[in-house]
Amino acid sequence: MTRLQTISGSFRMSLLHFFTDPQWIIPNIIAPFVFTIVALVLFGNVSASVALYAVLGGGMMGMWGNTLYGSGFALAFDRWNGTIEYVLATPSRLVWIIAGRSASNAVLGLVNAFAIVLVVAIGYGTLFVVANPVLFILALILTLASLSALGVVFCSAFLLSRSAQVMTNGLEMPIYVATGSMFPIALLPFWSHPISLSLGPTWGIDAMRYAADATYTGLGFGYWTDLLLVAASTAIYMAIGFWLFIVVEKKVRRDATLTEY
Amino acid sequence: MALTLADWPPYRIFWSSAKFAFKALFSWLRPPMWLTQLLVLPLFQMAFFVYLSRFVSPDGAAVAFIAVGNALQVASFSSIFAVCNLTSEEKWQGTLTSIIVTPANRFPLFLGRAMFQILNSMATVIVGLFYASNIFGVDMSSTDFLALAVVILVTSVAMTGFGLMLGSVGLFLRTAMIIANIFLFIGLLICGVNFPVTVLPTWLQPFSYAIPMTYGTMAARAAVQGSNIIELGPLVLQEIGAGAGSILVGYLLFLGFEALARRRGTFEEF
Repeated sequence: MTRLQTISGSFRMSLLHFFTDPQWIIPNIIAPFVFTIVALVLFGNVSASVALYAVLGGGMMGMWGNTLYGSGFALAFDRWNGTIEYVLATPSRLVWIIAGRSASNAVLGLVNAFAIVLVVAIGYGTLFVVANPVLFILALILTLASLSALGVVFCSAFLLSRSAQVMTNGLEMPIYVATGSMFPIALLPFWSHPISLSLGPTWGIDAMRYAADATYTGLGFGYWTDLLLVAASTAIYMAIGFWLFIVVEKKVRRDATLTEY
Repeated sequence: MALTLADWPPYRIFWSSAKFAFKALFSWLRPPMWLTQLLVLPLFQMAFFVYLSRFVSPDGAAVAFIAVGNALQVASFSSIFAVCNLTSEEKWQGTLTSIIVTPANRFPLFLGRAMFQILNSMATVIVGLFYASNIFGVDMSSTDFLALAVVILVTSVAMTGFGLMLGSVGLFLRTAMIIANIFLFIGLLICGVNFPVTVLPTWLQPFSYAIPMTYGTMAARAAVQGSNIIELGPLVLQEIGAGAGSILVGYLLFLGFEALARRRGTFEEF
């Protein structure tokens, strides 16, 4: 119960912070939005199933952008505002506080994704028709959970570093490329395929494409296998994130480096 | 006693500000992290758009266009994002008011602050062009390297001027980070980085030609294809003009926003 209270309190606080100054959604949304428009210009008059890559990829990038920046700045803002000591001094474990913040970033990430899809659909005239909406929403939710869990893993590393902002900038593009957000990962060099396949969002976006386009063949494992792999990778990320937070929290307390920025 | 250049106040302010900014940056950013950023950012941005273009046209017809365009544009992380945030960072560190009360001329002061980012931009473009040639297979056998070096220098300086212009807004607003993010990526769309400017709607094209990067990408591609500095002269001059215009407008905006922020007491708002 205490854990749930911590998560919900942190979730609520994080949303309140966001709505106090909602302009911060722009840095999270601008890159995926621009990338989607560039992709649609490059795709030109290609078939609807290829254009689907751009729109779905843009949505996934919107979710990742928000999760990554949310995680990167979750503790950096506390450092800048001088509140990180209070956050760590509470009897609640840091990982549950971060879990609440990540959940709120995930919700906002979903809004990001829908905003990108909507703006592209209205502004660019690309209709987004989903073959199986129920399976699509299921894949979308699991992909979002996977991205959030990945964000928690990175967030623990950001706690160690004074350069969280730099790391955040550096981690945005590699995930866009490695997950094949806008193109098939088969185009990437063969040696990089194991990296791509070890990322939950790669399977998540593949599942979304299966659900959206009945003719899609993708990675060839089918919708349900993709979904299983997303769920499994999410569980692994969460376990790693939880463990890392315990280790890192102890380390920054011992080394007295928590407030360095 | 003869006066030397070192005694000229703007010169002293410029170099003292440049050295201070360099020390301040590396007080929190470790060199390995800076190096990682220098090597990683161009690679993945270029990879994203190159693979996207290969998906669209498997014959790889647009790869050279996109790889060279992105090698130039990725310098925006330094020349636009970092430079635009200069004023906001002074706010966050609580040092903006101390700077504003000094009698030092603002122009050399903030130009000095941006000095390292000019070098950083140049290094980023060089890394990007190395990837273009060695990873993405762009043929650089006909490249006029002198012309390319001039284009890299002019683009880095001109884009830093553009970044300073955007950063002046940060004096008045709570943060310039939002504007920095918008202009960091908008160049991918309107500066002829991934497709020619002529593809854009007619009403948007004047905005493209107001940004120095547009001329930089065109000139860099021409240099890679073998054009020499004489042939690139008009393009480079246009880029210098756009950069100088940005610096002039930026300075006037800076003075205007400084006066406005003084009147409204918003220097410490962030």
